[in-house]
Amino acid sequence: MLINAQDISVKTSDKRLIESISCNVKQGDYLCIVGPNGSGKSTFLKTLIAILPIHSGKLMIDGQPISQYRHKKLARLISYVPQSGGNHLTFTVDDYVRMARYSHHHVFSEWQAHDNEVVENALNITDCQPFRYRKMSTLSGGECQRVMIAAALAQDTPVLILDEPTAFLDPHHQVAVHQLIRKLNQQHNKTIIEVTHDINHAAQHSKHVLALLDGKCLWHGPAEQFLNAERLQQLYQQAFVFAKHPHHDRLIAVADES
Amino acid sequence: MSIKLKLIALSLFTVLVVIISPWLDFSAASSPEIQQMIIYELRIPRVLFAFTAGCGLALCGMVFQAMFRNPLATPFTLGVASGASLGAAISVYTGISFTILGLSATSLSAFAGALIAISFVYSISRFRFGFSGETLLLTGVAISFFFSSLILFIQYLSNVADSFQIIRWLMGSLTVVGYQELKQLLPFVTLTAVVIIFLSRELNLLMAGDEIATSRGVSVKYVRYALFFVTSLCVGAIVALCGPIGFVGMMVPHICRLIIGEDHRYLIPATLLFGGSFLVICDTLARLVIAPAELPVGVITTLLGGPFFLWLLMRYKSQH
Repeated sequence: MLINAQDISVKTSDKRLIESISCNVKQGDYLCIVGPNGSGKSTFLKTLIAILPIHSGKLMIDGQPISQYRHKKLARLISYVPQSGGNHLTFTVDDYVRMARYSHHHVFSEWQAHDNEVVENALNITDCQPFRYRKMSTLSGGECQRVMIAAALAQDTPVLILDEPTAFLDPHHQVAVHQLIRKLNQQHNKTIIEVTHDINHAAQHSKHVLALLDGKCLWHGPAEQFLNAERLQQLYQQAFVFAKHPHHDRLIAVADES
Repeated sequence: MSIKLKLIALSLFTVLVVIISPWLDFSAASSPEIQQMIIYELRIPRVLFAFTAGCGLALCGMVFQAMFRNPLATPFTLGVASGASLGAAISVYTGISFTILGLSATSLSAFAGALIAISFVYSISRFRFGFSGETLLLTGVAISFFFSSLILFIQYLSNVADSFQIIRWLMGSLTVVGYQELKQLLPFVTLTAVVIIFLSRELNLLMAGDEIATSRGVSVKYVRYALFFVTSLCVGAIVALCGPIGFVGMMVPHICRLIIGEDHRYLIPATLLFGGSFLVICDTLARLVIAPAELPVGVITTLLGGPFFLWLLMRYKSQH
């Protein structure tokens, strides 16, 4: 078991952010975390990379409690793609992606041929080569998002966690990013944990879904069983209608606006 | 022009500035022996001292700008220099004198003042409001005012001689005789520079934000502590020896960022070179403008820095 969370809770001085969430993630799994705004999805992600400390419960990463990890060691296991950011930087794309090799180096270590390989590979997979020498601040939203993923890939970790990677993208780029994530999961055997508002994407492409509501786990199970009228109503306070996907027989859900 | 070429050009400029400035002189020629004594006993140590102080001030400014991700955040705008000044003023007033490991009482109390101010700024901005630009700077302004009024209070209590000494010192001055001050300052600036050079990759990642830096494996908390500690030490030492020389830490690193870029592996050497030569130029100006009398160098840097600060503020506002 790569990630094993048991009853974890996170709270600030006056507010509970998440409460007794349990969840297991195996090697090669693809977990989507869904839920309304403020339900604790991002908080949960941030506990996994030790940005937020857990208040109670047990969080084991690769068989070891997270509190025993140094940041650098954790960064060799899990990489993180934030919701946005990076477009204020004047680093070039190339420099930014190279910087992600930090956890594999110490103060006196030299840049190796292997580092170059990993960086080239990350830029190729994410299709960032055409603008690799441009400054981050000149990129469009879609390009910037791809660079953030490229940097996480350059970190070369078995687990990749993404916080709404398609939030600001047009449909074409959404599909491109989704395809990229699937490729990483299926061909490169990366373990993926993704926060998303796209419930159809979660149901069709991921392996497991974790639905959070008010910081608590509402449902956790196989992705193909996720779409369910009552569950979605409870989760989003919104009625949904369902139809069969024209290309295969899985359901797709559409918010009912009538 | 490539970054390396720019660094080489900057190095040549620096060498030129350091070599030429001791010889600049508008006063009437006196006998060659006296001239020689002035050059070797006064001017050269003074230029080296100004260079070292400039390196330290610019470097500390660069670290603050990177850590708070705000070009207006420097040890001076955030009240750290005022804290150091207060510490030094207290030690002048009480007249305590001792040395620990070669550190004078003034240096130590300036260092303590800087640390207290920095922990104020850090905890207020971190725990109450986050690192938003306005609140951070306002916190700095409030802290500066508070410490400045305490300095005024101490000045009011002191006798005329002490009071005059404190005023002259608060203007920032680099008047030295011989190599004594340089010997006191050099270890601090060197230590600070070495620590910061070792942390250049961490500084680069901090520019991308605390969360990204953490996820890449940086122990953000400890890196911040280390940087706060060495910059307090450096600012404390400089303030204790030459008073608060303002705005060098804001102008120099910002100009270097515009020319060299944000990569600290190149920005650090550029800031050291330009910071040193900039303060040497300002000090030479201070020595020459109303010759044979002298201005405190802090007057020159502040005269340049005020308009620069306003320009930066406008730019920063229009970007956000």
